[in-house]
Amino acid sequence: MNALSLYELNGLVRATLEEEMEETYWLQAELSEVNQRHGHCYLEFVQKGEKEGLIAKARGMIWANRWNVLSAYFSRTTGQPLGVGMQVLVEVSITFHELYGYSLNVVDIDPTYTVGDIARRRTEILRQLQEEGVDMMNKELELPMLLKRIAVVSSPTAAGYGDFCDQLKKNAYGLAFDVKLFPATMQGDTVESSVIAALDQIAGEETDWDVVVIIRGGGGAADLSGFDTLRLAEYVAQFPLPIITGIGHERDDTVIDMVSHTRVKTPTAAAEFLIQHGADQLATIERLATTVGNTVLGRLAQQQSRLELLNQKTDSAVRMLLHLKLNTLEKLGVSIEAADPKRILKLGFSITRVEGKAVTNADKLTPGTIIETTFAEGTTKSKVIEK
Amino acid sequence: MKYEEALERLQTIVADIERGETNVDELAESLKEAKSLIVFCKEKLQKVESDVKNILDD
Repeated sequence: MNALSLYELNGLVRATLEEEMEETYWLQAELSEVNQRHGHCYLEFVQKGEKEGLIAKARGMIWANRWNVLSAYFSRTTGQPLGVGMQVLVEVSITFHELYGYSLNVVDIDPTYTVGDIARRRTEILRQLQEEGVDMMNKELELPMLLKRIAVVSSPTAAGYGDFCDQLKKNAYGLAFDVKLFPATMQGDTVESSVIAALDQIAGEETDWDVVVIIRGGGGAADLSGFDTLRLAEYVAQFPLPIITGIGHERDDTVIDMVSHTRVKTPTAAAEFLIQHGADQLATIERLATTVGNTVLGRLAQQQSRLELLNQKTDSAVRMLLHLKLNTLEKLGVSIEAADPKRILKLGFSITRVEGKAVTNADKLTPGTIIETTFAEGTTKSKVIEK
Repeated sequence: MKYEEALERLQTIVADIERGETNVDELAESLKEAKSLIVFCKEKLQKVESDVKNILDD
């Protein structure tokens, strides 16, 4: 029997591979490990099955001279560094080393595939939130008129939090803000759990806060995949307080930027948003103050002219009434005058009286009776001679 | 008395006079009351106006 040494066997495998395989292949796979050592980048590629766990796995590496170029290219295009959990499209050559075995040597990478995958994942999360009917919930919350008590979720060591506080402090309107930091990891694997823990704490004292601000400083390329999870997105979308986020960067919004109440580009912009809101409220109050003054003065003037009118009305009504009564009186006077006996006497009539009583029937008189006759002017006494 | 009550009373008096429903004997009394009400209302308005101006100037 002609046995081979292990080295010889491995050498045979290597020779066969080198002979049979193409120089390079384009490979789609998920990254399960990414480690940088001595300038090189060591990777582990995996493929997950539909139901069962891993169905394929391979080691890989990107040598330092390539890694320098590819890592920058990748970050620039995707906005994130190469990280665990990403789906990547890489060009690899297969190597087999007698001692180290099978591995994949990455010679090129197509970042647009990863961009597409991240976008797909975000779209999928958004679709699920829509299905649950919660995607717009935080956006539909009304911002309180007064945004003064601000709960910040951020990393205490990040420059972003400092920028945010500085910006708030130096606002030109003299607005005072109460800011408290709820520390959380803003990068890497623990983003989801630590941001949720911070949000839980805020929810526990919900009435103490007007608004939540989630900010990440730095702005450049960072591993944002922790913010693109369904659970965190559900949390943010359904949070009882309005949330302002500044997590992603220029070209790239994370899912929670999409479901938060308001999305801003930077921590400084978040502070400016709050200041502007306060300034708008101040302007509204100023405007109302002017309006209320004018309205009150207007109403007073209205009442004054109303009184003036009533005053004139009173005078003319009294004059009218007096005139009316006098008129009636005058008419009565005319009637009375018409009935006055003096007027009759002046026409030539006279009154005949016996013992002061007017005589209206000649039968009452007998010859010899003394009668008194009253004329318009003067009175005479006479005796009845005959009847 | 409230301004509105005074104004209402004033309007009633004027309306009665206008309709000729006020007795002549009461006319002088009514007129006197109406004039007092006008003075009362005017004073109230002037007081409020100066208060308002003070507040607005603050």
